[in-house]
Amino acid sequence: MVEETVALKSNQQIGTNIWLMEFRSTLLASHAKPGQFLMVHLGERTKDPLLRRPFSIHGIQDGDKVMILYNVVGAGTSLLSALKEHDIISVIGPLGNGFTLPRPSEKAILVGGGTGLAPLFFLAQVLQKDQRNTVTLFLGFPTSQEVVRIQQLKDLGVNLSLTTEDGSLGIKGVVTDLLDQRLSNKGTTKPVIYACGPPPMLKTVAQKATTLSLRSYVSLEGYMACGLGICLGCAVKAAHGETKPYYYVCQDGPVFPSGMIDWEVL
Amino acid sequence: MAVLPDLSVDIGGLKLKNPVITASGTFGYGTELTPFFDPSLLGAIIVKGLSLKPIPGNPPPRIAETPCGLLNAIGLANIGIQAFIEEKLPMLTKIEAPVITNIYGHTVKEYADLAKKIEKVEGIAAIEINISCPNVEKGGMAFGTDPDTAAMVTGQVVSNTTKPVVVKLTPNVTDITTIARAVESAGAQAISVTNAILGMAVDVTTRRPKLANIVGGLSGPAIKPIALYLVHKVVAAVRIPVIGLGGIMDYRDALEFLLVGARAIQVGTANFVNPKTAIEIVHGLTDFCSREKISNINQIIGGLKTI
Repeated sequence: MVEETVALKSNQQIGTNIWLMEFRSTLLASHAKPGQFLMVHLGERTKDPLLRRPFSIHGIQDGDKVMILYNVVGAGTSLLSALKEHDIISVIGPLGNGFTLPRPSEKAILVGGGTGLAPLFFLAQVLQKDQRNTVTLFLGFPTSQEVVRIQQLKDLGVNLSLTTEDGSLGIKGVVTDLLDQRLSNKGTTKPVIYACGPPPMLKTVAQKATTLSLRSYVSLEGYMACGLGICLGCAVKAAHGETKPYYYVCQDGPVFPSGMIDWEVL
Repeated sequence: MAVLPDLSVDIGGLKLKNPVITASGTFGYGTELTPFFDPSLLGAIIVKGLSLKPIPGNPPPRIAETPCGLLNAIGLANIGIQAFIEEKLPMLTKIEAPVITNIYGHTVKEYADLAKKIEKVEGIAAIEINISCPNVEKGGMAFGTDPDTAAMVTGQVVSNTTKPVVVKLTPNVTDITTIARAVESAGAQAISVTNAILGMAVDVTTRRPKLANIVGGLSGPAIKPIALYLVHKVVAAVRIPVIGLGGIMDYRDALEFLLVGARAIQVGTANFVNPKTAIEIVHGLTDFCSREKISNINQIIGGLKTI
């Protein structure tokens, strides 16, 4: 884990409210694992917004280029989106546990809802490098306006299927429909599922995984002040029978085996 | 080669090499931020508030950001005093700064029991009492909002320990000086001012409070002027040292509290934003004193010019 001040290489809008930020950091790029995240603060030590914002690492390119894919949702991300090339941000990371990679014999199915794509791109990068298995990626968006990074995903060679809720691109429906279809095909090997997206989507994925006794990992978000296990802000209720009442997204996660989480209250 | 200024202060018999302390609940159990700097270089560290039994904490969302501030309702989540002593304290022996435990009880007796447990343990330099929690014995009223119960808790802790006792006051009272005088009379060696200020935030889209607990404690730069004012009032009301905290983000903020009369300061919310804040304040105070040709930090403390 390091704290670094870095200059942006680029920071561009690539979809409705969706931005892609890139900067160079040899240290972060060489230590980061898919599923880990960064705590980002605007370069000038502003008091408003006060806190850093957590962002999952979207990918590593050219050895040292770190990418963050983010939604502009509030004051913090709005200010972040106004930054230009050469502007400075402060970054702490890589933080959290990251995804547990599939065994060589296992097939990976990645399921992303909206900007839940963010950490899955990095996972797809790493899994595709290891050529033994083609990664299956299901992505769902509200409309075609939010669909981003498709060409880059195709360039990685992943087996990609899309849904939009209004049918403006790909199959009309929600992303878990694709998972349903896939899981109803009785394949020879049991896939491992990796999911990131809105809580209702993750809950559906978790239920399917439980029903079919599949291993599944979900990447969660949480309100956090520090990302370092100190503020104890990012609590999520642990499933019944777990050893702790709460898990903390920043330290115990952000990736959890879906069975560890109490989905009734998430 | 210039002689470095002397930053050491005395807090009720506890000697600190500088006046910079990390606030309870913002520095974990003491070692979490060691990747960023060596806590041995600080005046002291105060660890996460401890209770007799582990406390799971409140349901999420537990925090919300407000302009220049942080609202939290963590619910005093902690591993309990026994686990702290067994699992965390051994790692703290490597830290050369005094370790202060912050304690929290549901009843007066629990405070006394915590003091007894800590008294037997080496490696804990002092006790800070959190009295801004609900008092179940008194039907939900906080210990810290009533001078008599505040004094009772303080007296029980003081009589069960030989370690210096610091009482952390709540700002959520009509007159903080009555509470300050009460805990001073009950034997407190120092007072920390101030704990977080009660506050709320609402999501207008969902019409729900931003905290599951509905209300929480506001901290961060938003509360600094209020904290300074309260320190100013308490310093005038008591003889024992006052430790100032509330929204300190850099050494200039720390200087404001020292000038108002705080003998030491605590860094809280800033640790979340910049984990190196506390050590940067130590360096900032050193440089400031050197620049201003101040040989001893005590020359600044209480140096507010009002005429």
